[in-house]
Amino acid sequence: MTPPASQTDNPVSIHVSELRKSYGAVEAVRGINFEVRQGEIFGLIGPDGAGKTTTFQILAGVMEATSGTATIYNRAARAARQQTGYLTQTFSLYPDLTVAENIRYVGDLRLIPHAEIDERGSRYLKMFDIDRFTDRLAGRLSGGMKQKLALACALVAQPQVLLLDEPTTGVDPVSRREFWDTLAHLALDGLTILVATPYLDEAERCHRVALMYEGTIHQTGTPSELRRSLGAKRLEVHTSALGEAEDALSGHHEGILDVQRFGDRLDVMVPEPVAGQQQVELLLGAAGIPIDNIRVDEPALENTFVAKLRAIGRVVKSPKYPGQHPHRDLMGQVAIGASSLTRHFGAFTAVRDVSVDVKYGEIYGLLGANGAGKTTTIKMLCGLIEPSTGRMELAGERGSLRSRTVRQKLGYMSQKFSLYDDLTVGENLNFFGGVYGLSREEIETKKHWVLEFAGLEGKEAALTASLPGGWKQRVAFGAAIMHEPSVLFLDEPTSGVDPLARRAFWRMINQLADMGTAILVTTHYLEEAEQCNRLGFMVAGSIVAEGTPGGVKRAQTGHLIETVASEPQRAADLLRTEGERWRISLFGDRIHNVTDGDAETSMRETRATLAAAGIAVLEAREIPWSLEDVFISVVEKAKREERLAA
Amino acid sequence: MAALIAKEFAQIGRDKRLRISLIVPPVLQLLLFGFALNATVDNLRLGIVDFDRSPESRDLIAAMTQSGAFKSAGAYASAEKLGEDISRGKVDAGIVLPVGLSRDLHRGQQADVQVLLNAMNANTAAIAQGYTEGVLGTWNQVKLKSGELHARFSQIGSAPRNLRGIAALHPAFLFNPGLVSSWFVVTGTFGLLLTLNGSLVASAAMVKEREAGTVEQLLMTPAGTGEIIVAKIAPLFLLLCGMVLFATALIKVVFQIPFRGNLLIVFLGAALCVLCGIAIGTFLATFTRTARQAQLMSFFVNPPLSSLSGALTPVEAMPHWMQPLTLVNPIRHFGVITRAALLKGSGLDILWPNILALAGITLVLLVLSVWRFRKQLG
Repeated sequence: MTPPASQTDNPVSIHVSELRKSYGAVEAVRGINFEVRQGEIFGLIGPDGAGKTTTFQILAGVMEATSGTATIYNRAARAARQQTGYLTQTFSLYPDLTVAENIRYVGDLRLIPHAEIDERGSRYLKMFDIDRFTDRLAGRLSGGMKQKLALACALVAQPQVLLLDEPTTGVDPVSRREFWDTLAHLALDGLTILVATPYLDEAERCHRVALMYEGTIHQTGTPSELRRSLGAKRLEVHTSALGEAEDALSGHHEGILDVQRFGDRLDVMVPEPVAGQQQVELLLGAAGIPIDNIRVDEPALENTFVAKLRAIGRVVKSPKYPGQHPHRDLMGQVAIGASSLTRHFGAFTAVRDVSVDVKYGEIYGLLGANGAGKTTTIKMLCGLIEPSTGRMELAGERGSLRSRTVRQKLGYMSQKFSLYDDLTVGENLNFFGGVYGLSREEIETKKHWVLEFAGLEGKEAALTASLPGGWKQRVAFGAAIMHEPSVLFLDEPTSGVDPLARRAFWRMINQLADMGTAILVTTHYLEEAEQCNRLGFMVAGSIVAEGTPGGVKRAQTGHLIETVASEPQRAADLLRTEGERWRISLFGDRIHNVTDGDAETSMRETRATLAAAGIAVLEAREIPWSLEDVFISVVEKAKREERLAA
Repeated sequence: MAALIAKEFAQIGRDKRLRISLIVPPVLQLLLFGFALNATVDNLRLGIVDFDRSPESRDLIAAMTQSGAFKSAGAYASAEKLGEDISRGKVDAGIVLPVGLSRDLHRGQQADVQVLLNAMNANTAAIAQGYTEGVLGTWNQVKLKSGELHARFSQIGSAPRNLRGIAALHPAFLFNPGLVSSWFVVTGTFGLLLTLNGSLVASAAMVKEREAGTVEQLLMTPAGTGEIIVAKIAPLFLLLCGMVLFATALIKVVFQIPFRGNLLIVFLGAALCVLCGIAIGTFLATFTRTARQAQLMSFFVNPPLSSLSGALTPVEAMPHWMQPLTLVNPIRHFGVITRAALLKGSGLDILWPNILALAGITLVLLVLSVWRFRKQLG
């Protein structure tokens, strides 16, 4: 999106010039330049180890640069610390203090008068919709609420610049969207926001983004500029034989830049849509693969990012998995069969009447907000905890799910980190290979493969604790599938993994599914959920919607309207007062509105409402549902129904 | 199973703190307790008032200062002067030998010797008194044999706040004057060390898996809970047994404790004690989520365990109702076994009740902790 016209005249808030930082021989930041203007949301996007956190620490004044300048409103970053609010990945809240006490404490540290702390505190808590919880201990808040509280704490000091270093890692989609709505609001009030995120759907909500890799900024621009710079279109190819189609289109074919496989389609990047479509039809036709439908769309930011990283030489390998015992003969049979699972913890019902069927060769995505019961469900499905009522079938076993033979067939990668930090990478792999009873040679083959997949060839002796998160995650994934499980559980496998590595992950997951492995995966990232064959949406312990990514989108009864208005924030605030809060979300200057009624009527009504307040509607159109919009709509509707029932 | 054990060893190998805690505490505790908790008081400054100035009085003074417990702090002209210096803290104790000491002794009459003690530190005073009694007793014996002399000993103890009073003392006959053995403390510390250090190391190791969040991953592997537990306990047990050997060597070399009995009995007891420690640690770990919590828990458990062990203070010094409690304390039984086997040379024929009790306690603790651990895993 383009920044509002007024913004380009705003004073420069953050100025970074030829900034360098070395840690001994390692150069983390290698001479970067950028400027952020007042009221702008500026995104720093890049893989792990790109130098984002170092940049943040220098700007926050907690670290000195080796050379170059970093100023905030023309003052050295260190001298301007009173004007900056800095939020790290781990929110520095006091879990034993209440929400109000946390805010009071931060204000006291900055010597702000009590009356003022209370006034600002209650204003922000209200703005973030957590004012009901002022007396709750911070440790008892959900991830999303903690993050909002941390933001409120940072804002109490009334900073002019907000530095957010991957603030939404591990936060569910509903909370993430609310968080970004808040950021948009704050930016319009004149706050300058610099934010790092590994998630490109979030980057779309920045005014401008800079792509950072190995300490250097490679590209800067608005998201649409970046998308256009790719000079390509995205073809959504729907076909029933995804794997074969992917193989047929991959490789170096003229006119095809990139192929990415999703749960029920392929995304093919082509320089020119018409010729590209013909090329795809030709290639698939030659391979005898039927095409259901091809749709032309704009590239996503992710495509640009991947193309850019590839252009500068970053490769993430997804070497062929050296599996010897494919489960193809099981293909189509039920691997995970759960009927009416319910689980109580005391008086609390964590999971209610959940039925899931996952077949061999299928990738099933379980989605839900924090606290929706996903983790409990996955633990029941893999036999770690027993359901209170309901029946389970797992890998052909109905009786004892905890038997050795069943567990030998299961692979599990837990949400919490599942490798031993105090062992080397090699020792970890030896251990997991050994504990599943693999032979020496088999362990060596698989180890070789995992190291290649993780990009850690020759680094077998590295201590696991010393690896950055993204690498660890890939080793953990490798360790979980060394024994060629026929049923694989992945609990947020790609949390904190950069886009290129995430692609490698999903290519692997697809490979395994093609071999006949049944895969159940949970994620907070809906762009990723598109890669599943089927999805289940969980709300308050129940599955409320299920189907293919395309299917759940089609099943939406309402419409999604995008409106571009002259005063987006005021327009959004106004529309929110009209209807339910969740229906309106602000993406920079564009407002997304979910309506249950007729699209035309809704657009007319919106125009009228805004016109009455003196806001001009520049553009309004119906747009296709994104999975995130579907998710939020489904979750909110289910919550409403539950409230009505109660 | 092999993979599990190999993994535990690799983890232990990389755990610097664990390795340190297998070497430093034994050295530190044995040396510190052995030397510092020693009840022996050496080189007390003794002021002397000799009114008698006879060969007998000089002989008695020599006997006093040669014991090593006292050293001469000079002669005084009067008992008052001596008293002043005691209250000023210049000397720790004083002895007054009256005129006619030798005369009375030669007449076969009872001779009185006055001893002044600074009882600011009641313990030191009591010990000094004991020494004096012992020295006098020995001296009497020698004299009695050779020349029918008999001295009686009386004392002026200055009570706290320097109130001086005279307390009549009953003559006591102490064997081994001037020597309180560090052997008692060191043999007791040995047991404390094995059990307490074992429990600390074990609780840290047990809680680690849960703290790191790897326990779920482990539970999803085909490894059984029994295997997991054995794989956790076995390497720790072996390591702690290494510590037993190390500590034994230390005891022998530094404190020169005589190894009169069968060392195997001591090692058997030590192995059981180590297992007890591991069981206690494992048990505690099941109630906690982090290593820090586990350590805090052991702060509650360790003091009663050590004070009710008879390791540092005699069980007989405890109130009667409390004494039976020590019977369920593994450290007590181990203390009895080590002391008897090392110092007295007792064998299985005498020590079997203690070994049996220790084995019983170990078994109960192990079963309890494994049951808790399993329950938690499942």
